[in-house]
Amino acid sequence: MNDELEIVRGFLRERLNIDPARITVEATMEELDIDSLMLLELFFEFEERLDVTLSQNLPTPKTIGQLIDIVKGLRRAHTGG
Amino acid sequence: MVRRVAITGLGLVSPFGGSTEDFFARLLAGESCVRHYTTDDKPRALCMPAVRCDRFEPDAVMGKALSGTMDRYAQLGFAAAKEAWSHAGFAVDDKSEKNDCGVAWGTALGGTLAYERGYRDLWQNGRERISPLSVVLGMNNAASAHIAIQFGMGNSCLSYTVACASAAAAIGEAYRRIRTGEAAVMLAGGSDAPLCYGVVRAWEALRVMAPGDTANSSRACRPFGADRGGLVLGEGAAALVLEDWQHAVNRGAPILAELAGYGATCDHSHLVRPDAHGQIRAIELALADAGLRPDEIDYINAHGTATREGDPTEVEALRHVFAEHAPELAVSATKSMHGHMMGASGAVEAVITVLALRQDALPPTAHVDTLDPACTGVRHLLGGALRGSGARVALSNSFAFGGSNAVLAIRTDRNET
Repeated sequence: MNDELEIVRGFLRERLNIDPARITVEATMEELDIDSLMLLELFFEFEERLDVTLSQNLPTPKTIGQLIDIVKGLRRAHTGG
Repeated sequence: MVRRVAITGLGLVSPFGGSTEDFFARLLAGESCVRHYTTDDKPRALCMPAVRCDRFEPDAVMGKALSGTMDRYAQLGFAAAKEAWSHAGFAVDDKSEKNDCGVAWGTALGGTLAYERGYRDLWQNGRERISPLSVVLGMNNAASAHIAIQFGMGNSCLSYTVACASAAAAIGEAYRRIRTGEAAVMLAGGSDAPLCYGVVRAWEALRVMAPGDTANSSRACRPFGADRGGLVLGEGAAALVLEDWQHAVNRGAPILAELAGYGATCDHSHLVRPDAHGQIRAIELALADAGLRPDEIDYINAHGTATREGDPTEVEALRHVFAEHAPELAVSATKSMHGHMMGASGAVEAVITVLALRQDALPPTAHVDTLDPACTGVRHLLGGALRGSGARVALSNSFAFGGSNAVLAIRTDRNET
């Protein structure tokens, strides 16, 4: 379990009524019905909750795991960790 | 070939919280949905008569995922459109491509609540960024786009911003697309959600808002009344399914009424002061388009906002066009009960007009005890509904800031032909 996954679970439960148990690192954006607009909302949620600024040109993740990796990488770069 | 246009579906979000039929029945009874409205906004809270759709639950109508991508004006609009689409016998869960079906939607303000939320975040709350949905929530064609996407409409999807005449213009332009054969079915209407802090303050600054308190807000809007104090802002939405007559007959759709004519003009004289000359031309164009004589009109659903300048100008136009028929011409301003729903008004009043003709029951102008002498010369329906008059042909007037006028001619006397 990690911060990023909990953020995704909380957001998708609130926004789409998706059962948190379905939100795994293997789950794909397609099966969760997360389109490009929803992905922007998720990036925005990360910015708000983690107080980071994501770049304009982020890669498009296909799974929740890839999304979390992107955000983790940016957090590491942000904190110098 | 001149195509006739049938009205085959009606939808509306009722501020009373019930069905479209219930909304109309309450108007016939002279019941107002204007309430005293207060907020806790800073630095000065809103406190005024207003119309709100308090019981509207967008998540229940369209699901949480969809409602979350819409500003309130689009949620209201989509709900009205969905009801009308279903009423006309179309499946609301059918997204398959329908290239002969389109959308024409009116809104004066669009997603103004989304924009205001963004401004508050940036300037009041000191935030550096705002929601990535701000653009798609705020854009003026959001409602029409959502409607087209959900129902698979591949024909034109256009939005009309003509202030208070927005929905009437949308309905009229949709009617023309069917008349010319460019579309077989058009979902037309309008929606607005103007009860946000900045918009209300802007209207207050124009000094055209009716005053009211907790005791008398429900009677705040008194069109044509000697003591009228101005308009009442309201949120709302309504939609009509317009359909090529033969198309409706072929699929066995119930024909509720005929949209028989449309007149659109511009005063081209002043941004906010109405001009009877422009209104006269719009009424005359609608009559000519419908092939109707003035003495064939049984009822006018007036624009009637209860402003000092607007009401007498409208009656002046009616007296001019209807001449010796004017004293017999039944006229009412239903905004006395449902307020001014801005860009939605023309659609709400078109729905009311259809139901009035179908039920042969004309709603009153409520709350008026004494007519303004400048507004006399027509048969104002004061005090109660007029039932059983045999009304079958009507006009619905919408006259906007900017001088744009849109008049719809609706009839039920040829439904069987």
